[in-house]
Amino acid sequence: MEKITITLNVNNESHEVLVAPNDTLLEVLRDQLDFTGSKESCGEGVCGSCTVHMDGKPVRACLTLALEAENIEIKTVEGLANGDELSPLQQSFIDHGAVQCGFCTPGMLMSADALLNNNRQPDEATVRKAISGNICRCTGYAKIVHAVAHAHNPHQGCCDCNHKE
Amino acid sequence: MSDYNLIGKRMPRVDSRSKVTGKVRFTADLNLPGMLVGKVKRSPYAHARIVKIDTSKAKALPGVKAVVTGEDTEGVKWGVFAYTRDQQFIQMEKVRYIGDEVAGVAAVDEETALKALDLIEVEYEELPAVFDPLEAMASKGPLIHDDFPDNINVHVNIDTGSVDENFEKSHYIREDTFVAAEESYFQAEPYAVVARFDEEDCLEVWMPNGGPHMKSKPLSNAFKIPLHKVKVKKIAIGGAFGGRSEICPVDYICALLAKRTKAPVKIQFTREENTIATRQGHSMIVTHKTGVDKEGQVLARETTCYMDGGAYSSTGPIATSVPFLSMEQAYRMGSVRYNGYRIYTNKPIRGMIRVHGRAFACGVDTQLDMIADHLSIDPVEIRLKNSRQPGEYTSTKSQVSSCAMDETILKAVEKSKFKEKWGKLPAYHGIGIGTNSVQTGFPMGIRGGSQAFIKFNEDGEATVMSGVVDNGQGNDNMLVQIAAEELGLLPEDIHLVSADTETTSSDPGSYSQVSTFVGGQAVQVAAKNCKKRLFDVAAKILKVEPDTLAAKNRMIYVKDDPEKSIPIKKVVRIALLNFTSVNAQGGYWPKVDMKREWVSNPFGQMCEAFSFGTTIIEVKVDPDTGQVEVLEATAVQDVGKALNPLVLEGQFEGSIAMGGQANLTEYHDWKDGRVLNPTMLEYKLPLACDMPPKINNIIVESVDPKGPYGAKEAGMSIAMSAAQAYAAAVSNAIGVYLDSYPLTPDKILAAIKKKQEEEAKQGAKKARVN
Repeated sequence: MEKITITLNVNNESHEVLVAPNDTLLEVLRDQLDFTGSKESCGEGVCGSCTVHMDGKPVRACLTLALEAENIEIKTVEGLANGDELSPLQQSFIDHGAVQCGFCTPGMLMSADALLNNNRQPDEATVRKAISGNICRCTGYAKIVHAVAHAHNPHQGCCDCNHKE
Repeated sequence: MSDYNLIGKRMPRVDSRSKVTGKVRFTADLNLPGMLVGKVKRSPYAHARIVKIDTSKAKALPGVKAVVTGEDTEGVKWGVFAYTRDQQFIQMEKVRYIGDEVAGVAAVDEETALKALDLIEVEYEELPAVFDPLEAMASKGPLIHDDFPDNINVHVNIDTGSVDENFEKSHYIREDTFVAAEESYFQAEPYAVVARFDEEDCLEVWMPNGGPHMKSKPLSNAFKIPLHKVKVKKIAIGGAFGGRSEICPVDYICALLAKRTKAPVKIQFTREENTIATRQGHSMIVTHKTGVDKEGQVLARETTCYMDGGAYSSTGPIATSVPFLSMEQAYRMGSVRYNGYRIYTNKPIRGMIRVHGRAFACGVDTQLDMIADHLSIDPVEIRLKNSRQPGEYTSTKSQVSSCAMDETILKAVEKSKFKEKWGKLPAYHGIGIGTNSVQTGFPMGIRGGSQAFIKFNEDGEATVMSGVVDNGQGNDNMLVQIAAEELGLLPEDIHLVSADTETTSSDPGSYSQVSTFVGGQAVQVAAKNCKKRLFDVAAKILKVEPDTLAAKNRMIYVKDDPEKSIPIKKVVRIALLNFTSVNAQGGYWPKVDMKREWVSNPFGQMCEAFSFGTTIIEVKVDPDTGQVEVLEATAVQDVGKALNPLVLEGQFEGSIAMGGQANLTEYHDWKDGRVLNPTMLEYKLPLACDMPPKINNIIVESVDPKGPYGAKEAGMSIAMSAAQAYAAAVSNAIGVYLDSYPLTPDKILAAIKKKQEEEAKQGAKKARVN
């Protein structure tokens, strides 16, 4: 198949890439641009490990063609921190012990970040719903749910929110 | 009151920053210059003789750099034990399951590699295949392995004696059979391998592993090269759960392709390959016959278990034993006879999995509930009557030192309000309890111990080297936490070098719950040795005796006069100026019975400590759909000592998911040896919305006399007891003891329907009598 040059805007930087029409956004991000934070786990849009933002909305990069992503603001997990300064959500994941093996973490963060951008103080049920498209095999989700719910909204009773006080 | 700086504290993991920024590299993230793509040709037949393999067309395809078959290997067979070496890394004579490896390809890109796979022509002669363990035992067809009659791969027989006499003495005896389908690991990270031979002809290889040394030895055997030429490298690992403990044929195939092409090669599994061609859990059929006295004390138990082992031995003798051993640790059994059979079938290979034997564990607990029901005593009472006590010996003669089994039961009962709820909940609303116990390792011969090295740098910071691998559970943090605690440094002062066979000493590996107990303890010993050297130097400077000193916050100080102190950095520099080494090593070898062997001698000290756990689950069942809603989970474990409650709770919660919630949905569906649900779409893994909204974690500390700081293991007793508690809770909700796992809606509905029909019949009978 003939390859085409397109421009991808990833984490506020433009990248020219030569892509085949059937290349997925995930393949191009990982193999050409070395944004390996986004993971392939199921490869069929079920597990959410490849979740990135396109114009602020969480999408499955494994089901998105690179061609569809042209002229769209793409954000990956590598774009969450501001330089060395972690986002409150990332810090909350660390503080609440929400990271175990870490393979689902980037996708989980991107789904949660999209939720928090619309709702800074979600309750736990809302968080559970928002991350239901992200499979984690390690944690049983409890600490992830707390990390997301408390990211902008430290809870009095939570001993892992204390560092913020 | 403990005076630890870090031990027992909720310490965020040292590896989490690189994971939340996406910077950490897993195997598939590696991209080496000139790297080729590797792919594996797999058998489409469950059982077939290989007549001919023609690779000429594949080799001729432009972009293909190498094609390898069994002819290219040294023909070394793999098996965990000398008596289970039954697996070639690339099959030459026959294939034994759909997915068996027959060839490997390396090419410039994935598309070319896949095309080349299609161009490899394999002529097969199909053989009759067997997919059910009982049929496999009775089969008159060709054996799966010629030297294993009746397709029996492993037979574990344990008999403590007096079983029949004690059945005769029993007040009540029952015999029940339980079955469970196979489950899978579904590690988030699909299996991947990167291999290359470096400029000194050393094999460098990266892959998810449960122990790098468990990978390097078979690779050195397979290539017939010295062990020091195999460098299994440290890499982030996306979960193991027991499924990455052994060598994988593809480790070898990838390395062989790298050798042939003189280039780095990467093989990435698809999700289907990860399910089919790594390991799966065993399916099993278990019959428990149990005799009790009037009070419900177990006097005798006879258990017969048939496990579907799939095509090769894998960890067979261990897998056939551990489900039984866990139960004999948890409960006193009086006298016991166990016959465990692992049977070859033409299905994917089965290995160790986090929840050892659902049918087994759930069977013992479910049957206890049945017996309690018959004797009109409650489930808590019968467990307390039979629970393991400290100081006792298990049926297979392991002494149990620390044990707070009863406390875990009582705390779980109190927190969940079990007594207030059991038998008093509305219809289709139930509560159930499960208890279990796991080992902290088992006799592993020369690889049973772990050794660590600590090197002080001249800036007063330290490098810790340990063979322990982190599969995601937090072992890296555990090692850093222990080293920092002992050395009086901050976690950020420690640089960890681990799980690298070139630089770190051998270690049992991160399975059998041994990492903290043995590997963590080795680091503790090394750090103590290192600290002693520093204290000897500091004592001279401070003009005190070394045993009056302590270290904390980068300072060495006099315990009774903390003002009298000196920075560790200064001590290191003074030591170096005085020709004194500040490096140290240390190791830990658990005192186990080295004569204990899984099949030939299953008696003797298994490990030094056992953990004990209780889970209580409350559920609501929808009688129209059979759907189960889990309302609350309570997880209580005797962990010895909680090194890091934050990490520990994560293990408990993950165990509720993979042990408990999985017992509602997880199983494989089959057609003629083919897995019908190998992907995450069809195989139902628990999601955030499926989990109980509340998990109560309760840590019980029995402070083990041998464990590091008293620690044992974190969470495995919860995974197993959770499976049991889910079974008990659903059974309690519908008023039927379920004997087939997982507890899917179809089984629940069928049980409800059967019960209603029986009740209707009883009602009609009663009406006629009246």
